[in-house]
Amino acid sequence: MTIKIFNMKCIRILLFIIICLLPASSCDDWLELIPPDGLVRDEYWKSKEDIEATLMGAYQSFAGLNGNLFLFGEMRADMIESDQNTPNAQRSIMLGNIYPDNSMTDWSEFYTVINYCNNVLKYAPEIIKFDQTFTEYQMRGFEAEAVFLRSLAYFYLVRIFKEVPLVLEPSEQDDVQFYLPKSADTTILRVISEDLNKVKLYVTDDYGSPEENMGRATKGAVLSLLADISLWNFDYQECIDYINEIEEIGYLLMPGGKWFEVFYPGNSLEGIFEFQFDQGLGQNNALWQKTYYTNRVIQASKTALDLLTPETSSEIIRGPGSLRSYDGMIWKFCGAASDGVTYRPSSERNSCNWVVYRYADVLLMKAEALSQLGRFDEALTVINQIRSRVLMNAAEIPYTTEAFEDAIMEERATELAFEGKRWFDLLRLGRRNNYSRKSKLIEIIIEKVPSTQKLVLASKLTDPFGWYLPIQENELERNSNLVQNPYYADYSTD
Amino acid sequence: MKSGLKIVALTFLVLISIDLCAQDGVVLRGSVQDAETGELIIGVNVIEYDQDKRIITGTITDPNGNYVLNVTNPDAIIMFSFIGYKAQEIALEGQTSLNVLLSAESYELEEITVTAEANTDPLSNVAQRDVASSRVKIDMVDSKHMGAVSAEEALAGKVTGLDIMSFSGDPGSGSSIVIRGLGSLGNARPLIVVDGIPQSVVISQDFDLGSADQEDIGDLVNIAPQDIKSIEVLKDAASGAVWGSKGADGVLLIETFRGSRGKTKFDYQGKYTWNKQPPPVPMLNGNEYIMMQLEEWHNAKGIYDVPQEIAFDPDYIDFYNYTANTDWVDAISRDGFINEQFFKLSGGGEKTRYYASLNTHNNKGTTINTSLKRVTTRVNLDYNVSRKIRFSVNFSYSNSNKEDNYQFRVEGTKQRTNIREMAYQKAPNMSIWEYDFKGDLTGEYFNPVESYQGSGLQYFNPVAVGNLSQNDVIENRISNSFTLTYNIAPWLNFIQMVSMQYVGQKKNEFLPYNAVGSDWLNELNNFQLEQNNTNTEIITRSQLRFIPRMSENHTLSGMLMFETDQINFEWSTLQGMSGPSTEVRDPAANTPIKWLGSGTQETHILGLLVNLNYKFKDKYITQLNFRADASSRFGSNNRWGMFPSASFAWRFSEEPWMTNLTFLTESKLRFSYGQAGKQPRRAYDRHAIFNTTNPSQYILRPIVVPLQVQLANLKWQTLTQANLGIDISLFNRIDITAEVYSKKTEDLLWSNYKIPKSSGFTTLKQYNGGELLNEGWELDLSAFVIRKRETTLWLNFNISHNVNSFVAFPENFNNEVDLSIGNGQFPRRADLGEPVGSFYGFKYLGVWPSDDDVVATNENGEVLLDVNGNPVPLSYKGTYLFQGGDARYADINHDGQIDLQDVVYLGDSNPDFIGGFGGNFRWKDISVSTQWQYRLGYVVVNEVALNTEGMLNKNNQSKAVLHRWRAQGQDEPGMLPRAYLNHPANNLGSDRYVERGDYLRMVNLTVAYGLPKNICQKFRVRSLDVAVTMRRIFTFTYYTGQDPEISPNIENPFWFGTDKAKTPPPKAFTLSIALGF
Repeated sequence: MTIKIFNMKCIRILLFIIICLLPASSCDDWLELIPPDGLVRDEYWKSKEDIEATLMGAYQSFAGLNGNLFLFGEMRADMIESDQNTPNAQRSIMLGNIYPDNSMTDWSEFYTVINYCNNVLKYAPEIIKFDQTFTEYQMRGFEAEAVFLRSLAYFYLVRIFKEVPLVLEPSEQDDVQFYLPKSADTTILRVISEDLNKVKLYVTDDYGSPEENMGRATKGAVLSLLADISLWNFDYQECIDYINEIEEIGYLLMPGGKWFEVFYPGNSLEGIFEFQFDQGLGQNNALWQKTYYTNRVIQASKTALDLLTPETSSEIIRGPGSLRSYDGMIWKFCGAASDGVTYRPSSERNSCNWVVYRYADVLLMKAEALSQLGRFDEALTVINQIRSRVLMNAAEIPYTTEAFEDAIMEERATELAFEGKRWFDLLRLGRRNNYSRKSKLIEIIIEKVPSTQKLVLASKLTDPFGWYLPIQENELERNSNLVQNPYYADYSTD
Repeated sequence: MKSGLKIVALTFLVLISIDLCAQDGVVLRGSVQDAETGELIIGVNVIEYDQDKRIITGTITDPNGNYVLNVTNPDAIIMFSFIGYKAQEIALEGQTSLNVLLSAESYELEEITVTAEANTDPLSNVAQRDVASSRVKIDMVDSKHMGAVSAEEALAGKVTGLDIMSFSGDPGSGSSIVIRGLGSLGNARPLIVVDGIPQSVVISQDFDLGSADQEDIGDLVNIAPQDIKSIEVLKDAASGAVWGSKGADGVLLIETFRGSRGKTKFDYQGKYTWNKQPPPVPMLNGNEYIMMQLEEWHNAKGIYDVPQEIAFDPDYIDFYNYTANTDWVDAISRDGFINEQFFKLSGGGEKTRYYASLNTHNNKGTTINTSLKRVTTRVNLDYNVSRKIRFSVNFSYSNSNKEDNYQFRVEGTKQRTNIREMAYQKAPNMSIWEYDFKGDLTGEYFNPVESYQGSGLQYFNPVAVGNLSQNDVIENRISNSFTLTYNIAPWLNFIQMVSMQYVGQKKNEFLPYNAVGSDWLNELNNFQLEQNNTNTEIITRSQLRFIPRMSENHTLSGMLMFETDQINFEWSTLQGMSGPSTEVRDPAANTPIKWLGSGTQETHILGLLVNLNYKFKDKYITQLNFRADASSRFGSNNRWGMFPSASFAWRFSEEPWMTNLTFLTESKLRFSYGQAGKQPRRAYDRHAIFNTTNPSQYILRPIVVPLQVQLANLKWQTLTQANLGIDISLFNRIDITAEVYSKKTEDLLWSNYKIPKSSGFTTLKQYNGGELLNEGWELDLSAFVIRKRETTLWLNFNISHNVNSFVAFPENFNNEVDLSIGNGQFPRRADLGEPVGSFYGFKYLGVWPSDDDVVATNENGEVLLDVNGNPVPLSYKGTYLFQGGDARYADINHDGQIDLQDVVYLGDSNPDFIGGFGGNFRWKDISVSTQWQYRLGYVVVNEVALNTEGMLNKNNQSKAVLHRWRAQGQDEPGMLPRAYLNHPANNLGSDRYVERGDYLRMVNLTVAYGLPKNICQKFRVRSLDVAVTMRRIFTFTYYTGQDPEISPNIENPFWFGTDKAKTPPPKAFTLSIALGF
């Protein structure tokens, strides 16, 4: 009996040891835990819906940036002024006190968009190999959209910072090279124009709903961006060619009486690309809060008032549609009609679209390009086309490039007031013909600066690098391969 | 392994299979009498054994001394036993009635504590005396009278290399424990093991606490100090290695009491503690404050309109509200009181031994509205199924309820402002209670939406927030473990352990609208938060131990272990705002939702351990460990970490040629070398997670985007440690232990490592990179100066030295950050080879006496002239020209500008030496014991002074500013700069606020008196002790702030110590009474 028990024991021991050692074979399963919230990469990138969902993330992130797009396009220019509740970072930039620790110099949101687009561009060609429902045509369409958004982001970055890292691969894994140096602005612009030219054939023109036709990349949007880049590069003929293509698509200028419908309710006949917002879908546009008069964040400047008050400028449509002359409130994003009285309900204010490109903008680009080529007649026709639809008299401009340049600048300021365009227009002016007119740009920048600092700043700003924002200090600390914009290298925060 | 449940099931299978088939029984009757007196004995154990000495059945005698036992086997052996009598074993041989005479033991039993149990490590099975690695065991029996609230407190100053600092003096805030310097970034807290079970750590959810507040992870083990039998500190990798991946930052092994054979013992202890705060930094009163504010305005702006709050204008509507003299710090402070009651019951017999205890702890904190109520129970049972099988159960439950004040989150940072910080800032001319314009109290707290200092949310009324707000944490912690020990053969046993732990935490915050000044629409009005955290952990451990019998000269033992660990963490948070009333405190009450969130994290860990111990001639000792761990927090390529360790000891006192040295007793030389690993703190950091964003769609199309970067290269952080130690015992009275060690951490884990934002992300969730080195030595001396029958005096002293430095930074790492300088800012820089905690700043040289004195000088002290021969004005960054009364800083590079170039090294916050000393003295029944703790050679930034001596904002300032510059030409030693509103440079980060933190502190002093045995017997009690303990009564320090205990925390190489107005640990006076039956 003793022996028997001992045997049983031995069996039990063996059993235990076996049980203990068994798991070694299946332990990899036991140790492979997947987070219950969300999906991991192995489970993602399986179908065309995944591509589309990330692409939509890129649109939404870019749309969420619109408050900054407004500021980058207006902050240093002459159409807006700070008010008592302006955040310090924005106020400092307006006053010309720009240091690398300014929070407005954070570029991370642009790169978030770029990263999403890079993901789409990497995985769209992969998924088509095993998703049977994914057609080549759809894939090219998604790629075109991603290229458009990425190029638009880089075009903004180049105009804000001049030189930035050019990231074209998704940041998926920790072995990706994160520490990229800056690329020259010319390189970036060349890369994005090439990309855009490649995809412009594939971009869809009809997504099935007016919101998507305005809110997603279309042929018109891609061509507008290309035209804008060409103009920035002073390739006037190229710009005109792109715009001729746009004209063939069939956009129309809104008639004068309906001019305000460009902004409310938006998605007008004139719209080419507008970031879509809809409070009902939880997609809120917070921009109106900056310009709403009780919030006292941003107000129209004296220049803007002079330009747009109907009493001084006879702008009876664009004037009251853009601002409210008695208190300088920017009206485009808050009003329901251009009467300065009827507010949109707050839900409608949150649903206000952000217009990136519209037909009037593109036509004025064309006028600019034509005038630079000396084709003054054609340019004047375009300018007067814009003016006549808002019941303004035809412009009479001496046939000189400079007179046309000034007239078009003013026309753009009036037509596109507070649409995040002005600063970039001024930069184009300052850079043109080897900086021959940079004093005009500097004059405008120092307008808002306290009188004691005007002279100092004016002399500093003869260095065109000062027209761009510095790389944020925080980013320089993270990436030692970056070199600060030389204008700011001496002006560290100490 | 699919799950640990398999093992549980198997354990029970084994248990069931042990039961033998029942046989037909025989009824045995009889009585038991005292052999001498013939008295019938009540309660005698009558037990049936089989041939294997396995207990089959048993009973006890009734009040008449009779018993009836249903005997299963007619040939069984019956044993009769009772305390105080010799046990008798009688073979039954078919009898059905058995009357027994028991004879008394021939000697009188004194109360004795049996410590014969092999004192071994629960895992590696190595006897204490043969340990070759670095570990220190502290017996807690002598500390039962100390007022210590927790195990951490009881350890302070006692063990070399162990740095224990309390986070704060608030109840339940816990301590930071660091063993031999910080070897990891962030939270480097040692693993705490109670009775062989690693304790679960509550991970805070991290939606807003990317790096959890230290306080949140402070109180790890809710264990009653009276339950603790001993605490062992494992310091080197070789000793910690057996505990696997969780033990890389050191291990504290806590052993609780268990029952022992004998009569049931009942113990009671009552402790009453009075806590008194050390005196606060004296602050300006209302009038002094207004005077200073007027100067600030005048100096900054010249002629100005005095703001009406400080204008003493009786027509001002809030005149009475702004002319008070409020001592805010005093108003939020009070005396604390702790009432602690402890009961325990222990004893046991042949088969079962038991220990049960109950502890209630009721702590009223020294800040208003802070308290801790805690109930802890513990049951430890041991059951001998047979001589071969023993079954142990440990069960403990604790419930704690911590009350605190709402803490305001500082915009854009992870910092919080507590009411004590606010009490130091709040304008003292403001009243606590609101007066109307006639000067009558309205009965409301004075909480203006916009006060003189600023918004009512930023400058809240600390008394109102203290009394009205809520920030409670209720925690339930259940821990139980089952251990089965099966002695398969004399040389082989098998141990199976299953442990389950549950920690549930519920946090409630509420901020009623009347506690802060804000307009009705503010979302912080009636802000409600409810947060639930649930941690569950199941550990199974199977061990096979070999102790082969060898010849006398060779001793060999070994062990194989397999461990599984499943950790599950769930959290949910609900934040509501704008609640309807101050009574609706539940965010689920349909108030507008401010934020909602929940999450789950699960981790699986496998561990394998092979251990081999060999001893030759009791002199040469070798221990080898090999541990392998795999964790689900790593990807499959780097999942397994291999951590070998080896230790050797030579007991040279046993060598024959040493035996002449009679003064040398038991001494040995030790060397150990080993590795340990650490895994990331969160479960899913390695995955690229795709999820939706807010808003979750664009137009009508859904959005899914990547939220984090996949970490394909994430691997174990590896710690390699070498330790050389010597233990010398002289005359059997003096013990000396000295050790040197070197501890290197490679592949350091960085949590939320910053990467360029051009990647589209801001951080990598985890990153391996860099190396951290800790090197140091430790010395511990203890001696019985007097050891006589009635008098003993024992003294001890310990000192340790640790140098912490980075030896490598990660690739692309920037070692200079926060280079912006300004008021209160210290630029930070980390250098390879330099200790962590270094900081930089300006050299402060006092105050410029007058405008004319302000000159820039060259190296020779001559006035600096520009090219035109005019003196160069001394400026701050070229923008502000210094004037009389401004702070004077050293212009290191003599360029006439105070800027980043003038920043110099100011010191580091790592103590050079830490340690303690103490002793105890006993004479007859009176004993006196004391323990002191010291930290030497470190500097800290006195942030309280920085905030209360700058005089450049509207915050209240300390009394020190009364001695400030007021008029041109004023030049007195120790004078502070002038008051100047928003001065750009008067309060730069400089050595003005850097102070030596060195201190020597009395941890405790206890006087105890035990009632003599004979008197105890008269009162029919076993023992009665009374003790008085004083804690932290004396602190000797140069430090001018309230408390120099600054707990270290290197989340990154740029850490330095700052004193941030935490509640200082109070002075405590404790009376304790212990009674035993």
